[in-house]
Amino acid sequence: MTLAETLSFLPYGKYALYIWLSYGITFILIAGLFVRASINYKKIRIQLKNKYAREND
Amino acid sequence: MWKWIQKLASPKVFYETTNKLIPWFFWPFIALISIGLYWGLVLAPADYQQGESFRIIYIHVPSAWMSMLVYFIMAVAGGIGLIWQIKMAEVVAKVSAPIGATFTLIALVTGAVWGKPMWGTWWVWDARLTSELILLFLYLAYISLNNAFDNPKTAAKASSILAIVGLVNLPIIHYSVKWWNTLHQGSMFNDISNPSMHPDMLWPLLIMVFAFQFLYGVLALVGARDEVLVREQNSRWVRAVVTGEQS
Repeated sequence: MTLAETLSFLPYGKYALYIWLSYGITFILIAGLFVRASINYKKIRIQLKNKYAREND
Repeated sequence: MWKWIQKLASPKVFYETTNKLIPWFFWPFIALISIGLYWGLVLAPADYQQGESFRIIYIHVPSAWMSMLVYFIMAVAGGIGLIWQIKMAEVVAKVSAPIGATFTLIALVTGAVWGKPMWGTWWVWDARLTSELILLFLYLAYISLNNAFDNPKTAAKASSILAIVGLVNLPIIHYSVKWWNTLHQGSMFNDISNPSMHPDMLWPLLIMVFAFQFLYGVLALVGARDEVLVREQNSRWVRAVVTGEQS
């Protein structure tokens, strides 16, 4: 029994594996872009705050 | 118009503008992606030949279009930075690269996943697939080159030249299905007034295309806003923004 047949109980039947795999990978990659943007936002502000604090000392 | 562009070339105005524009791109993206996914995954009927598997086009086609559009924006912005020395254009080009690379990767992966049940294989060295893979390599080369220099000006110059040279790949991707006998199907929009898709399938696709455009807008604006802070870190206005002081 192939993986596609095993997962055919999901919506979209025999194509469920391919559809959910495509949408899942897309979701992960796009979520990754948002996470990266959020990490950059915090990192840049912390780095700049530390830099200005050092300059003020 | 020229006055407005000149005004936007000021890093401070650029930062303030991007900050204001982010919600105007984020919320339409959320609305469009929700409608597009519901319509495409639930309401749209199955294709008479491909069955349910055609639903992959609702992410494959928008990401493939965006992979080319973002590259075009990146190369044009890079060119503007090179010719008119507008730093903000360099910023737009730089932040667009990882987003475009991600769209290209999504197009390639979803195409491969669709290809398995439809063509019986994950990959073929077909003209459309190969030129799209070259696009991914161009994005990766651009990112690597941009990160290879400590001086942002030199990095922007070198990577912009690469992006402009790589523009030649865009017409190759677009016309590959016409120029060569490819396994990849032809364009669905040769005649915009008479598309080869039923409206019930076409509308969710168009909505997803707009959703991906707004997605690019959000991510590019967020990236550009932060990149400006790094580049202008010695300015008084950046200090004021970061520390919360009044400038």
